[in-house]
Amino acid sequence: MFEFSYLKANSLSEAAAFVAAHPDAKLLAGGMTLLPTLKQRLAQPSHLVDVGRLPELGGIELKAGRLAIGAATRHHDVATSAVVRNAIPALAYLASHIGDPQVRNCGTLGGSVANNDPAADYPAAVLALDAIIVTTQREIAAADFFQGMFATALEAGEIIVRVLFPVPKRAAYEKFPHPASGYAMAGAFVAEMATGVRVAVTGAGPGVFRWSEAESALAQNLNVAAVDKLTLDATDLNEDFHATREYRANLAKVMTKRALQKMLATK
Amino acid sequence: MTDTHAANRREDLRLITGRGRYVADSNLPHQLHACFLRADRAHAEIVTINTEPALKCRGVVAVFTGADAIAANYKQFPNMMTFTNASGATILKPERPVLAHGKVRFVGEAVAMVVAESALAAQDALDAIAIVYRDLPVAVSVEDALAAGAAQLHANVPGNLCFEWDTGDAAAVERAFAKAAHVTRLTVVSQRVVPSPMELRGCLIGYDGASDSYDIYTNSQGILMMRWQFAALTGVPEEKLRFHLHDVGGSFGQRSAVYPEHAAQMIAAKKLGRPIKWVASRSECFLSDSHGRGIVMAGELALDRDSRFTAARYQFLCDMGAYLTPTGPASHVRNPAIGMTGVYRIPALHGNFKVVLTNTAPVAAYRGAGRPDVAYMVERLVDQAASELKIERDELRRRNFIPLDAFPYKTPTMGVYEASDFAGCLGKALQAADWNGFDPRREKSRKAGKLRGIGLSTVIEGTAAGMFPKDQVAIEFDAQGRLEVYTVSLSTGQSHETTFTEIVAQTLGVAPEAVTLRESVQGKNLSGNHSGGSRSLVGCGSVCKLAAQKLIEQAKPLAAEELELEPSQLDYADGAFRSRDGEKMIGLLELAKKLVGTNPHPLNLMAEASVGSTYPNGCHVAEVEIDPETGVTEILSYTAVDDAGIVINHSVVEGQVHGGVTQGAGQVFGEHAVYDRESGQLLTGSFSDYYMPRAGWIRDIHVNDHPLPSKVNVLGAKGAGESGCTASLPSLVSAVLDAVRPLGIQHLDMPLTPSKMWHAIQTAKAE
Amino acid sequence: MTKLELNVNGKLRIGEVEDRTLLADFLRDQLGLTGTHIGCDTSQCGCCTVHLDGRAIKSCTMLAVQASGAKVVTIEGLAKGDTLHPVQQAFSDCHGLQCGFCTPGMIMATAALLKDNPNPSDAEIYRGLEGNLCRCTGYINIVKAVKRAAQTS
Repeated sequence: MFEFSYLKANSLSEAAAFVAAHPDAKLLAGGMTLLPTLKQRLAQPSHLVDVGRLPELGGIELKAGRLAIGAATRHHDVATSAVVRNAIPALAYLASHIGDPQVRNCGTLGGSVANNDPAADYPAAVLALDAIIVTTQREIAAADFFQGMFATALEAGEIIVRVLFPVPKRAAYEKFPHPASGYAMAGAFVAEMATGVRVAVTGAGPGVFRWSEAESALAQNLNVAAVDKLTLDATDLNEDFHATREYRANLAKVMTKRALQKMLATK
Repeated sequence: MTDTHAANRREDLRLITGRGRYVADSNLPHQLHACFLRADRAHAEIVTINTEPALKCRGVVAVFTGADAIAANYKQFPNMMTFTNASGATILKPERPVLAHGKVRFVGEAVAMVVAESALAAQDALDAIAIVYRDLPVAVSVEDALAAGAAQLHANVPGNLCFEWDTGDAAAVERAFAKAAHVTRLTVVSQRVVPSPMELRGCLIGYDGASDSYDIYTNSQGILMMRWQFAALTGVPEEKLRFHLHDVGGSFGQRSAVYPEHAAQMIAAKKLGRPIKWVASRSECFLSDSHGRGIVMAGELALDRDSRFTAARYQFLCDMGAYLTPTGPASHVRNPAIGMTGVYRIPALHGNFKVVLTNTAPVAAYRGAGRPDVAYMVERLVDQAASELKIERDELRRRNFIPLDAFPYKTPTMGVYEASDFAGCLGKALQAADWNGFDPRREKSRKAGKLRGIGLSTVIEGTAAGMFPKDQVAIEFDAQGRLEVYTVSLSTGQSHETTFTEIVAQTLGVAPEAVTLRESVQGKNLSGNHSGGSRSLVGCGSVCKLAAQKLIEQAKPLAAEELELEPSQLDYADGAFRSRDGEKMIGLLELAKKLVGTNPHPLNLMAEASVGSTYPNGCHVAEVEIDPETGVTEILSYTAVDDAGIVINHSVVEGQVHGGVTQGAGQVFGEHAVYDRESGQLLTGSFSDYYMPRAGWIRDIHVNDHPLPSKVNVLGAKGAGESGCTASLPSLVSAVLDAVRPLGIQHLDMPLTPSKMWHAIQTAKAE
Repeated sequence: MTKLELNVNGKLRIGEVEDRTLLADFLRDQLGLTGTHIGCDTSQCGCCTVHLDGRAIKSCTMLAVQASGAKVVTIEGLAKGDTLHPVQQAFSDCHGLQCGFCTPGMIMATAALLKDNPNPSDAEIYRGLEGNLCRCTGYINIVKAVKRAAQTS
C-alpha cells in the first residue's frame, strides 16, 4: 500500500468536515473493498477516515413502513436482525449471502452502496425496493443514485448516513455466484410493492438495472411463466472468458424466475 | 505391516496451535527485505533501465538488475531432460538470467530487485524504477508459437521448439492403422493451471563472508534436489550452500526447483553482507510460480474386429512457457511416454513430443506431472471408441486390460508394469458406485429436468524413478539416547513424521513416540530423492524399514555383551532382546541409553537401497448431475478404488486421494490459467478470477483399496500421492459427457464451466 | 507512526505502527504471533482469520490501527495451557489437516461458526467455511472435524 494517515472520526460532522477539507481523503467503514484496492496500489488516498463505529451511522429501525438501516451496519447484522427478518426477509437473505462469513462481519451497507460494484448484491435490493439513500447533504432516490460502473450520484465529500427501504408486500432475492470470486454473476431482486412488481438485476451488466420487460409481463400475469417467455437482451451485458453475455442474460432470467418462485411461495 | 489411522499425527500439535515454522516465520538478525519489479508486458526488449530514482527512496539500500545477474553468471538453469532424439539432439536450453536482461518474455518476469530496510519500503521504491521497453509480438499459445513467422523468444531456439522426440514404433503403428476395423481420433487439451498451494513462495538467505557460504531458508520439496540445482545455477559449490528447511505449506511439484528469485537474493546477500528476506504476494505467485499441465494432445486409437486395441499414436504439444524449468520438460515427456498404453494391451504405440516455448509463465511438474494428462487422453479415446462402436465403456475396457498373467508387463514405450489387477479394481469400483443401478437414477433426474451422467476411468502411473540412484536413511541416537531417523525427503503435507516413524517403530516393536523423524537436515551426509513423483514412502519410507532392521542386527552383539551372553542365544521381539530361556532381557531403547557416551553412538547407522518406479493404479467412478438452466454440474458421488500396494496408514492415503481428486475436479470444472492472446496479460491473476474448490463442493469421496503388493520395495507399497489427479480428470469428464451425449454432444474440453456447458446444451438442443 | 493498544489472547499489547500496517502483519511481525498466516492478497483464502471482539475477521483486510482498543484472539490463544480447544482437537482427530498452512484460519473460522451455531447442518458448515481455502485435504476431513467439534464442544 502507499502511505496514508489514519484517523478515527469522533462524529459524523467531524468526518464530513475532514473529507470536505481533504479532497484526497477516503472514508473507511468495513474496508472490504477499500483495503484490497489499496493493497493492489490502485488508489493513493492521503487519509483514511474511519467512520465504521460511528453511532450516527448505525441502527436498524422499522418506522412508517420503511426499514432504516445505518450505513455502517455490517452485513452480518442485517442478516441476523430480527427486525429485518420480519420486515424484509429477502433483504436479510441477500445480506447473508454477501461474500463469506468473515467478510460479512466487516463489510457495510453504506460501503457497498457507495462503491456500486457492478456485481455487488445490495444495489439490486436498493433499486428493486425503490429505496432512498440518505446522505449528509440530501436524500437521493435509488433511480438517481446508481450511475454506471463504480459511479454514483454522491458528490465529493458526501457521506451516506442510512438507507431507507420501503417494506414490500413480499420480495425475494436469488443470485448465481461467480465460481471464483463469489460476487453475483447475476442476481435478481424481485419485489411486489404497492405500485406493482419490480425486478432489479445485478452482476450481469455494467451496473444494476431494472428489467422492465419482466416487470410489464408480471404486471399482466404474476407467474413464472410470464418471465419464461421473455429473453433478456444481451447486447449491453458483460462478457469475459468466464461467461458470454448470452449466458449472463440467461442467468439473469433464471435468477429472476427463481426469485419470483420464492416470492410467490410466501403468503 | 499393520495399518493404522492418522488420527492425531505427530506433526499436528504444532500446526493446530500455530507453532508451525514456515518460511515467512523465519528471520535473521539485521535482515533486509527484497521486492521484485516484474515485467508488465509479455514480450519486449529492455531498452533502458534506470534505478537511480529508486536508490533515493527512503529505506532503500540497493537495487539489482539483469546486469548483476550477468556479472554473477547466474543464467543457466539446470534441466532434468536428458533424452536424445533420433537426430542426436538434446533439448535446447535457453538462457535465463535470474533478473531479466535484454528482454522480458512473460508478464511477471522478475526484472529488478529492490532491497530495503522493510518490505514496505522496498515495495514503495518499485514505482521509481524507470524502464523503457520496445514491444515485440507476442505468442501465447503453442500453436501461435510454432506458426511460421511467430515471434522468436530466444535466439538459440529456432521456431520456439526446444525439443522434438519420438518414442515407439511408427511403422508398426502405421501398419496396424492401415488394417484397423475401426479408428477413433480425438484432440484434447489439458489446460494450463496454477498449482496454488496455500503457502506463498519465499526465501531468506544469509551470507557468511568468512567462509563465502550461504544459509538458505525456503519452501522446497527436499534438500538435495535444491542444493544441486542451486549449485548448478550459481556455480557455488554444494558445501557452501546450507539449507534450513522446516514446515512447508503444500507444494504439488511447484517447489521442487530453484527459482530466479532464489539466486537474485544470493547476489544481494553477498554484495550487502546482510540477510535478504522475500515473501511473494499471491498476485506474484499467480504470475511467476511455475504453472502446471498445458499440454495439447492429439490421439488415435485403432481397433480390430473384436474391438481389441491394436495400436495408438499421439502427438503431445507441451507448453513450457517462456523459459524451461528444471522439471517441466522431463516430466511432460517421460511420464506421458510411460503412460501411453494406459492399462491396456496395445501392441503398437507411437508418440511424438514437441516441447515449445511461449510468452507465458514457465511450466513445471504439478501433481501427476504428465501422468494425469496422458491418462486423460487414453481414457477419452477409449470412451469415444466405446460410444462409436456402441459397446459399454466398462466392457470395452475389460476386453483390453493387460491380464493378470501378463505381468511384469514390458510396455512398448518405457516402463515395466508390476502386477496389477485392473479388472478387480474395476469390478470393485462399479459395485461400490452401483454402476448397474444407474439407469433409474438417470431417469429420475430427467423427470426433474436435469441431466445425469456416470463416468469411469481405469488408470495407472509410474511413480518417479528418482534421479539419485539410492535412497539413504540414517538412524542416530542423541545425547539422551533417543532415536532419531534422518532422511532427505521433505513432507509438504504428506504426514511423513507420522508414517515414517510408524514404520520404524513397528519394525522395532517400540512405541511410535520413541521415534522422531528429521527430514532434510543440513549437515547430514545422506543421498536420496526429494519428495515428488509419489516416491517418498516407496523410496525413503521403505529404507526406513531397512534401517530399523539393520538396527536390530547392529544392536544384537552389543545387547549380548550387556547380558553376558552370545548373540546366538538372543531373540529380538517387541522392542527387546531376550535370552531363549527368558531369564535375561534388555530393551533396545534401554540399550541405546546405556551406550550414550561413546562418540559416535555405537548404534548409529545408515541404510540404503535402490528403489525404482512402482505402478499404482485404480478405477474411479464419478456420478454427476447437470442443471441445463445454469450449466452447473453437481458431483453427486465419487468412488475411488486404488491399488496403492500395501497401505501403511489408511487415513493418510485417503487424505491424499481426497486432495488429488479435488485438485483434478478443479481442473475439470473451472481451473484455468488464461492469458490474453493479443497482449499476453494473465487474466486469471488472483482467486477472484481463478477458480478454487471450496468446502461442500465434493461432499464425499468413497476411498477403497484393492492392493497388490509391490515387489519394488520392502514395504510392498505403491506411491499414492498423485493418483487422485490422474484418475479424476478422465472419470469426471467421462461422467459429464455421459450426461450430455444423449443430446448429441460428443466432445468438450476442460474446464467444463457453467457457461461452456450451457452453451453446449443450447447448441445441441437447437440442432 | 501511530500508537495502538489491543488485547491479544488475554494480554494487553501495545505497539507503534505505520498507519498502513495490516493487523496480520502487526500480529506476526511485532507480536511474534506467527500462527496467523497470509495466503493471498484479495481477501479470499482465510488463512489470516482471527477473532476480533468475538467475530471472525480476515486480519489481512484490517489495519492494525483499526483494531486498536479491540479484543483479539489468535490461534495461539485458543488452547488453555496444555488443553486444546475442542476444535483443535477435532481437526487432529479427523485428519483435517495435511500441510497445516490453512489450518489456523480454518480452526478460527470453525470456532466462530460453532459459537453462533453449535449444531450446524452440512449446508451450514459449507457456508461457514466459504471464506477459507484449502489445497491439500479436499475439505472432506475438515467438514468431519467441524462435525466432531460440534459434538465434543
